[in-house]
Amino acid sequence: MVVEEAKDRNIRIVQHGVFAPLRRWGIRWSLWPVHFVTSCCGVELAHSGACGYDMERLGALNYGIARQSNFIIIEGTITRKMARALRLVYEQMPDPKFVSLIGACGERGGLFWNSYNITLPHEIVPVDFFIPGCPVTPEGLIRGIRAVQEKIEGRGRTTIEFKCAELPREGGEARLVPSSPKFLAETPTVRIDVPREGELPERLKPLAEEEGVRVTAIGKNRVAIRTPAERLEEIALRLKELGFDHVKSVNIVDVPHERRMLVEYVVSSYSVRELMPVLVSLFAYVPRVSPGLQSLKHVWESADYCERELQDLFGVRFEGNPWQRRFILAPEVEAPLRKDFRLEEESYVLGEAPLAPKIEYPPEPLSYYLPVPDEVFEEAAKNDEFVLPIGPHHTGSGHLRVILRVKGDVIVDAIPDPGYVHRSMEKLAETKLYVQNIPLFERLSIADPININLGYVRTLEFALGVEPPERAKLIRTMLAELSRIGAFLYDAGIFSLFTGHSTGFMYTFSMREMLLELFVRMTGSRCTPSYVIPGGVRWDVSDEALKLTKNFTSAILHRLSKFESIFVNNPVLMERVKGVGVLTKEQAINVGIVGPFLRASGVEYDIRIAEPYEAYTELEWDVPVADDGDCLARFLLRLEEVRQSLNIVRQAVEALERTSGAVIAAEVLGEFKDAPDIRGLFFRTLGDICLPRGEFTCLTEAARGTLLFSILSDGESNVPYRVRVVTPSWMNLHGFMEAVKGQRLADFWAIYGSFGYFPPEADR
Amino acid sequence: MKMLGQILELASSNRVEIPLIEPLLGMLPPPLSELAALPLWKPLFAALVVPGFATLGLLLLLLPWIERKLCARIQWRVGPKEIVSWLGGIIQLLADSLRFLFQEVIVSRDSHRPYFTQFVLLSFIPALLPMLFVAAGTIIAIRTEYSVQIMLALVCLFPVFILGMGWSSGNRFAFVGTVREAFMYFAYEVPLILSVIAMLLVFGTGDPVAIGESGRLGIVLNPLAALVFFIATAMGTSRLPFEIPEADQELAFGPFIEYSGITFGLAYVLAYEKLYVLSALFTTLFLGGGSGPMIAPLGELSGALWFVLKVIVVMVVFAALRAIYPRFRLDQALKAGWSSILAISLLAIIISSVEVVMWA
Amino acid sequence: MGIKRLKMPEYSFGDKVKWHAAAVGTAFKEAFFPHTVTVHYPKERRKFPDNFRGYILFDIEKCINCWQCAFVCPANAIRMKEAPNKKYYPTIDYAKCIFCHFCVDSCVGGALRTTKIHDVAYADVNEMLAETEQLMEPPEIVREDRRYVEYVIEEDDVRLRRVKGQDYLLVEPPPRKEYSMVCVCDDPESCTGCGTCADVCEHYAISISIEGEYKVIRIDTARCTGCGLCVKECPLRVLRLVRREGEQ
Repeated sequence: MVVEEAKDRNIRIVQHGVFAPLRRWGIRWSLWPVHFVTSCCGVELAHSGACGYDMERLGALNYGIARQSNFIIIEGTITRKMARALRLVYEQMPDPKFVSLIGACGERGGLFWNSYNITLPHEIVPVDFFIPGCPVTPEGLIRGIRAVQEKIEGRGRTTIEFKCAELPREGGEARLVPSSPKFLAETPTVRIDVPREGELPERLKPLAEEEGVRVTAIGKNRVAIRTPAERLEEIALRLKELGFDHVKSVNIVDVPHERRMLVEYVVSSYSVRELMPVLVSLFAYVPRVSPGLQSLKHVWESADYCERELQDLFGVRFEGNPWQRRFILAPEVEAPLRKDFRLEEESYVLGEAPLAPKIEYPPEPLSYYLPVPDEVFEEAAKNDEFVLPIGPHHTGSGHLRVILRVKGDVIVDAIPDPGYVHRSMEKLAETKLYVQNIPLFERLSIADPININLGYVRTLEFALGVEPPERAKLIRTMLAELSRIGAFLYDAGIFSLFTGHSTGFMYTFSMREMLLELFVRMTGSRCTPSYVIPGGVRWDVSDEALKLTKNFTSAILHRLSKFESIFVNNPVLMERVKGVGVLTKEQAINVGIVGPFLRASGVEYDIRIAEPYEAYTELEWDVPVADDGDCLARFLLRLEEVRQSLNIVRQAVEALERTSGAVIAAEVLGEFKDAPDIRGLFFRTLGDICLPRGEFTCLTEAARGTLLFSILSDGESNVPYRVRVVTPSWMNLHGFMEAVKGQRLADFWAIYGSFGYFPPEADR
Repeated sequence: MKMLGQILELASSNRVEIPLIEPLLGMLPPPLSELAALPLWKPLFAALVVPGFATLGLLLLLLPWIERKLCARIQWRVGPKEIVSWLGGIIQLLADSLRFLFQEVIVSRDSHRPYFTQFVLLSFIPALLPMLFVAAGTIIAIRTEYSVQIMLALVCLFPVFILGMGWSSGNRFAFVGTVREAFMYFAYEVPLILSVIAMLLVFGTGDPVAIGESGRLGIVLNPLAALVFFIATAMGTSRLPFEIPEADQELAFGPFIEYSGITFGLAYVLAYEKLYVLSALFTTLFLGGGSGPMIAPLGELSGALWFVLKVIVVMVVFAALRAIYPRFRLDQALKAGWSSILAISLLAIIISSVEVVMWA
Repeated sequence: MGIKRLKMPEYSFGDKVKWHAAAVGTAFKEAFFPHTVTVHYPKERRKFPDNFRGYILFDIEKCINCWQCAFVCPANAIRMKEAPNKKYYPTIDYAKCIFCHFCVDSCVGGALRTTKIHDVAYADVNEMLAETEQLMEPPEIVREDRRYVEYVIEEDDVRLRRVKGQDYLLVEPPPRKEYSMVCVCDDPESCTGCGTCADVCEHYAISISIEGEYKVIRIDTARCTGCGLCVKECPLRVLRLVRREGEQ
């Protein structure tokens, strides 16, 4: 779509005219990036703008408004929905304007290269520089700015030069190209209720005696209930009476060779303590052609957004769900998660297939469209309201669009329009080996990478029955808590920005910079460690890194106190957030929010306690709970969690200093059990793992709440049959929208910040 | 020729006295020396050099830089630097303004084109006219008994132009920002005027030169009025914690969202101009104007120098607020404006009245 | 492990004054004695540890053409290129590479190793493919750094240690244990002699000979590098990799 000549148009503008030298000088030192934070790389952009690297040194002032900026830094994935915004923003910017593209997703798709929902930004707007990385480092990003500056001066060039070596010449015979390492069974048996060791909870026993209902224990605290489709609602109501008050996930599995689909509600309880760790998968089969399902929104309000999402992904209809329009997908993608929707396959030989994925853009792809019906506008006009669409490119929206209906200064209704970072992870996971999914899922939330990592890997370990060694568990606990701190610091930074306090943002990011120093020393990467692997971790941490970690737990307090005195305790902030966006305990349970935000509303639920994992039981720590349920409670509760996390980290480091031993389980290493770590053996040991048949659901307490991974394996393929991921931000979206209603317009951002809503995590 | 002579005579009768350059002027032959001294004619000097254009221009180029540097320092980073590394990037704003100057100006289709373009330029009337009434020490363009009142009246015209800019933009966010601006106007204006009245009561005159020469520090005489004036200025110039109409994370610069290129450059400096006028007023009323130790060689410029220095300090304090406070909500600012701040301003009037009665 | 109930603060007028003063005081203090942590890239460079995952270098001597790097790459950034000697060597498409270094960790012979190069800007997306011959020598990047900065986290705060001179970007790979493997046929009786293993072997270690009416495979253990391609391709799954004798 990009006309080739457009690419150098801006440079020609700069070179043109009598004042060209002045113009070049001015523009060169005043590249204001419009922060097109589309995805993970946005986190590193924030780091480049924050005190760790401070790109304002180069005159690049991060600026959110298209009209006044002259530089787009495209941060990562541009999905089909976002492509429209990208083009729009580019067109809105005054000439001359420059574009630099960071991150692999934008260049040739990166991890998501064969996704149905990505586009290639350089086919949409002319791009001046491409910076590799996933995510890029702030240095890389600043190198990109330098390169653009040089280009304006007329010396634009690639900043790396490869030397060519000679390849061995002696001849041989042409060899057979090996086949793909992936194996997908063609007509596998797909079953959820594979009986495994475990007990039925007392309360569910009466259900088991029902006619036509099959209750199976599929593991410790895991129950599957199969019912006929027409009785789904009835059983759901009975489960609700038993105390199963919220939905953790709604799932659909397409089984084309059986000509049916399986719809599954994973429910659990916040109100009954003994049911807290129990997960019940209520499922039914429905025909695959014209599948109409009964929505269970009226039973469990928390199922609402998941149902809306699945309508898009599977082309089904949930009767009774009021939302019958597109929710997370662009209009041109139809039912991509059905098995007959095929993705491009990998090629392992250079030249066999083009490097870049072929992306078909719809004929009129860049029309601006709002997913809300016109009636909303008409009704708003009738009631003397004002419709204010926030996002997807807005200084304070991230990459979510919310259509606000405002009466005076009060928000009457908020309609979410997510999906701007929907990178189709669930579909991609079905085409990748189990280990290849580790980095894939990590991109859900690179502000909180280890917890996401851990969530997926624990599911694999649960399925494989592998127990990591003690030292690995401690390392994982330590890193998970560091990652929790990191996610809080990120969210707190965004929260301070959203309340207009840039100093708070800088202070938290200086602490994050310290944290990333630890990450890079231990794992080799700043934001995407991919460090936790089935059976342990990739390599041991050094004593020096441990010492730094220990120092960190005390050093951060020094900076945290500064942050508190200038931001947290600031009376203006108190005014802004106290009593704002209140979710009562009932509301919170009803809309199914998770994690610290749930605890801020007074529910004592933490997976680290309900279903302990790793080394948490061996350490001393508390779960903070608050009753207010407002923005302040949500924020202060997470701040308290950071203190607890520091506590955990300190204890874990002390324990690690005492222990030594393997960091990877012997059963994973197999015949290489004398190996110190996985280096050199990664693919040999983990490349071909295959899970037993059945569904494996694992919950993890990520920084922003419950992270659910549900892997369905057919027992034959070495790729998952279906992976369902429900992330904390996704579950919190509903609560966020509820909390916004009735508040003032400016409170929208305070509530946004207090929920730590992270669109890449929500949209998957 | 005769007229020129008259003008020169008039000019030499009311000259800014600077002992330092007197001998230089004396070295020139008579008609030339008088011609050279023409810029020293007080009204002209005041309008063009200090406190007028030259000072304003310099401050507009420096102050955003100072603000960025200071905030950066508080925020543990560096701020603009690489452009001239050894001077700490002091000419950053020059690059920014050059960039604005040479950038495309977009007039959106939804905007009301004539107003959209005119209001930016028109808004310089209330921005520049007060310059004529600002006294830098004894240097003033138009000296009247009512200078302070006139300045205040002109400053209070400002929001009208911002409303016009926002309204003519035809953008939803600009619209919300405009409405917020209007509300804020109501929030700060009454206390602002009351606090000025309180000071006028004490000084008994609206002549800034006379106020400066009275040698009394307003901030000591009536600290409450100073507090109200300070807060009202923060509100009026959209400084944090009252950066409510512009609120870049919420409304993406509200009324100015549609402005690009040089029009945005102008809109951007507008707030600083208003800040300059109000800081000048603050300095005059509360910090004793141009009073300060006399630097003999500079003559009248000495007072001007002190005045400008004080103004810079006041402006830097306002700039630092950005690094300290988050943003209030509109209703909170309104509430504060109509309750506590109004009450304090009334108190300030009472204090002034008591002082006047006591000293009389 | 317990529950800790949090109380939300209530500010009295005195508290408000106190916290206003605290905020202003902090800003004032930091304005004079800031805890700056800025790294002045590109003039100076942050020192990353030796295990930093950056651009990848390839040592052709150590490569056993096992394809594992290409197979494990989650982004399909690694594709094998046929060299003139008809063996396949990796190429890396940096437009897709996510720097997870699964390939480095998978590399059996230790042919792939990391560098600390990561700050690169390309003017054209088509230049981003690094072919085998480009991976073998360390590339040159634009460097403006005159000193490097190390984040030293001490007990009370982080300190930025600035050192004159350029940081090294090429690192020696950490020592690793070598596992020499060899291919064996478990069940020669079942072997149909289809020859896939022989065709796929890039070291010509497997040959099919006809003995009587049967085709029999012969494995030349001296040539076998233990790449495992034959094991993977064998349709009957009768081949297996074992560790070489005298190793275990």
